[in-house]
Amino acid sequence: MTESTDAVKIADQALRIAKLVAPSADVQVNVHESSEGNIRFALGVVQSCGEESELGVNIRMVFGKRSASASSNQTDEESLRSLAERVASMAKSSPEDPEIMPLLGPQKYAQAPIAFDPAITTVTSASRTGVPAAANHIFSESGLVGAGFFEYAASEYSVANSSGLRASSRETSLGLQMTARTPDGAGSGSARGESHLVSGIDAVACAKVAAKKAKQSAHPKTLEPGHYTVVLEPPAVAELLGFLFNSLDARSIDEGRSALSRHGGASPLGELIASPIVTLRSNPADPDMPCAPFDGEGLPREPIVWVENGALKSLSYSRYWAAKQGKKPTSMGGWHLTGGVAESTDELVKGVKRGLLVTRFWYTRHLDPQKGLITGLTRDGVLLIENGEIVGPVNNFRFNESPFNMLKNCDAMTRKTTRVSSFFLTCVPAIRTNSFNMASISVAI
Amino acid sequence: MKIDRRELLIGAGALAATACASRLPVSFGAFGAAPKLSPAVAEAIHRAIESAKRAGASYVDARVVRRKWETVSTREDHIEWVSYRETYGIGVRVIVNGAWGFSSASRVDGASAESAALRAVVAAAANAHVSERPVVLAPAPLIKGSWVSPCATDPFAISVAEKGEYLIDLWRSARSVPGAKFGAGHITSLGEWKVFASSEGSLLEQKITRIAPSFSVTAIDPSIEGFESVRSELAPSLGGWEYVAQSNLKQNAQQLAENAVKKLRAPAVVAGERDLIIAPSNLWLTIHESIGHATELDRALGYEMDMAGTSYATPDKLHKLRIGSPIVTFYADKTTPGGLATCAWDDDGVETYRWDLIKNGVFVDYQTTRDQAAWIHERKSRATSYAQDHKSVAFQRMPNVSLAPSRSDISVDDIIAATDDGIFATGTNSWSIDQQRYNFQFSAQMAYEIKKGKIVGPVRHFAYQSNSIQFWNSCDMIGGPKSWELGGAMDDGKGEPMQSNAVSHGCPPARFRRVNVLSTRNS
Repeated sequence: MTESTDAVKIADQALRIAKLVAPSADVQVNVHESSEGNIRFALGVVQSCGEESELGVNIRMVFGKRSASASSNQTDEESLRSLAERVASMAKSSPEDPEIMPLLGPQKYAQAPIAFDPAITTVTSASRTGVPAAANHIFSESGLVGAGFFEYAASEYSVANSSGLRASSRETSLGLQMTARTPDGAGSGSARGESHLVSGIDAVACAKVAAKKAKQSAHPKTLEPGHYTVVLEPPAVAELLGFLFNSLDARSIDEGRSALSRHGGASPLGELIASPIVTLRSNPADPDMPCAPFDGEGLPREPIVWVENGALKSLSYSRYWAAKQGKKPTSMGGWHLTGGVAESTDELVKGVKRGLLVTRFWYTRHLDPQKGLITGLTRDGVLLIENGEIVGPVNNFRFNESPFNMLKNCDAMTRKTTRVSSFFLTCVPAIRTNSFNMASISVAI
Repeated sequence: MKIDRRELLIGAGALAATACASRLPVSFGAFGAAPKLSPAVAEAIHRAIESAKRAGASYVDARVVRRKWETVSTREDHIEWVSYRETYGIGVRVIVNGAWGFSSASRVDGASAESAALRAVVAAAANAHVSERPVVLAPAPLIKGSWVSPCATDPFAISVAEKGEYLIDLWRSARSVPGAKFGAGHITSLGEWKVFASSEGSLLEQKITRIAPSFSVTAIDPSIEGFESVRSELAPSLGGWEYVAQSNLKQNAQQLAENAVKKLRAPAVVAGERDLIIAPSNLWLTIHESIGHATELDRALGYEMDMAGTSYATPDKLHKLRIGSPIVTFYADKTTPGGLATCAWDDDGVETYRWDLIKNGVFVDYQTTRDQAAWIHERKSRATSYAQDHKSVAFQRMPNVSLAPSRSDISVDDIIAATDDGIFATGTNSWSIDQQRYNFQFSAQMAYEIKKGKIVGPVRHFAYQSNSIQFWNSCDMIGGPKSWELGGAMDDGKGEPMQSNAVSHGCPPARFRRVNVLSTRNS
């Protein structure tokens, strides 16, 4: 990794140039400086790798009700001038947007959480090969084949605008994912890990979990589709939970085109949309997933309670819709799902008379937006549970189910939560939920 | 073969718009002579290749890529979003001790390129220690030339005003329909300019322009529960602004709104095993997911197991597995006119061409790259290597994969007339398939009940679910050449880190017997 350059300095430089190009424009500059690398491996070889340090600049200009934005990774003086001229030309040419909001002025941000790990500089093109080395060793010892991906980045975000707003933040992020399969293709398991800390990534532990899952899932028996009690491991929970976010958009609800829209325009706030044990919060200073204390507009991210004891407490407002409705605009950190008391996933399994333990979901998509219905498939291990014990692997399923039902029918969760990002940062427990619609069989392994 | 810097600078008409003698129709694009590069690009490529070779690389390629992406979005009668993104840089890929290494730089000059090349060499040397088998490249002829995709009017030269007004005008047509409450328009333009040079001596320049217009309408009726949206079915395409200007979007905007209202008021589909007639505007995505991805060799062998998954089409099934009925033939073709994946050479520098994947229903071939051909004892790459930008490593990406039309002049009306009881589906909506490409489920923009050879009316909450092999084996009618259309996506994802690939799929309408139809309302 290379030393980071000064994103703040580039933001100020781009702002100065943009104002010279278009003195009458309101201007905002967002800079993202990153130094990142990755390595990808499969079947005993390194497939690809990459590393680059890059600085991306986005300039947005507003002329009254007209605006446009443009970004580039070329940050010399001439390139910035050219970029500013392009934005000015596009913005002036754009039809008007009556919903345009003025740029934010100076903001106060909460004490920035420490999201940056200086140890990121110890990750190099040589040291990262330790990930495939560890995985290859464990998979080989287990009589399995496997693959994986490790990526890491140090980033700096900086925002500067002509209304006096200045914000900057640094963070590191590391992610690891592995899949192990039996050589005959009869079993497949996966595991993942992510952290803002270098020490939070454990390739050996990840490979061991993937290997264990591959063996556990091998030679599945056929089980008919139907509604099952399921214990969902954190990756499955995070994947389905992420779809909830769009449903919380206040404007869509008010306009009658959200799963939370109510007849006659009634507000869903206060409704029990989840089991009483469920609480969903976001907090930029969450120690498990710290992030920048501001969003792309420079709006301060604040702690938000979305669902408390099952009741809907907050909706998401854009700046425009908030102003129109007299509400506060939303700027959030990662989602943290809490409320569980179970000490382990095993404890959740013990409470199941007949059901399924699901490792993760795959290829999830909206199916019926009016019901918040999502379709997708199970992957990398579905285990049949009978009388509180895992009996053995069964086939994968396609599910047609909604995150609302997942949370409403949830009767237990683990106390421990795990950081698993899907659409955005989330920290979720394993959960047990009933009457989960496994709609058809997938013979894929 | 050593590339000489002087050679890089000396070219004939770079990217000349005049077509040279070509093996392909002019609609495919225009070939030109070897490129004449700017001094900065020539210097960067020269130093990348020579420094990597001096440092021990047995193979080197360098790609200088400029990628432009513009989106103009409207909401009802006003602009919602105008954005432009451009990236520029050089990516250097090397083989050292039999292992790949890659690195990139966002500055295109000699020093930055050399630095990237040396980082790639260091990485490759480290990777070699944890790689059990060496990379083997299939032979590729040395080629020098340039190519420009067909584009009469550069979409980036069309003002935001014109694009915005075009989209707002669609809403003006749509809003006259009672019940049409919301409208959203988008025009996305994608431009790629790239130079590829290899240590073997190939030197290629390509300029590719793609465009994707779309418009959707949402209908709400207070007396009926819920809402329904319908999106235009015009495919994204290789081409420029002329594709939008000559399209039927404006003529169809009001009809689109009427369809949204009709869909909202339509009865729920009757679930069960039904005969399905699928229009090209929906079937292209089913082809993409169930055939296109299934015949990627890296997936089939397990190299994509960690992300995209594997495939039902494993090498032991070549020339044996019946994936479709005997009337079903699929071919791959990166030279299809208008195809989003169409180009003259892939990102390995190999000339593109057409070949069969499924012949008369039987699985006969894969999509490969230079480093994959040897895995199945082939000596020729199928030229399907692609990298989305300079900082992404090139790997196997889907070419245009298409369903061949029937030889008979069969129209969609003929297929409907021949169907006693079924559903006719158009336009893509929800889509999902498992990691081995067996179980898929798709919905549609519009679905219509068919009774006794006639369309009765639209139905709501429609989706179909099947197994790829079962589905294609149930195909018993395929439209003729006149009914063949391209569909496609600008942003097919694959790889880690995820890369985006634009790809098209041509097909006629086709009929499938006894497919599992579900009503999402009862799911």
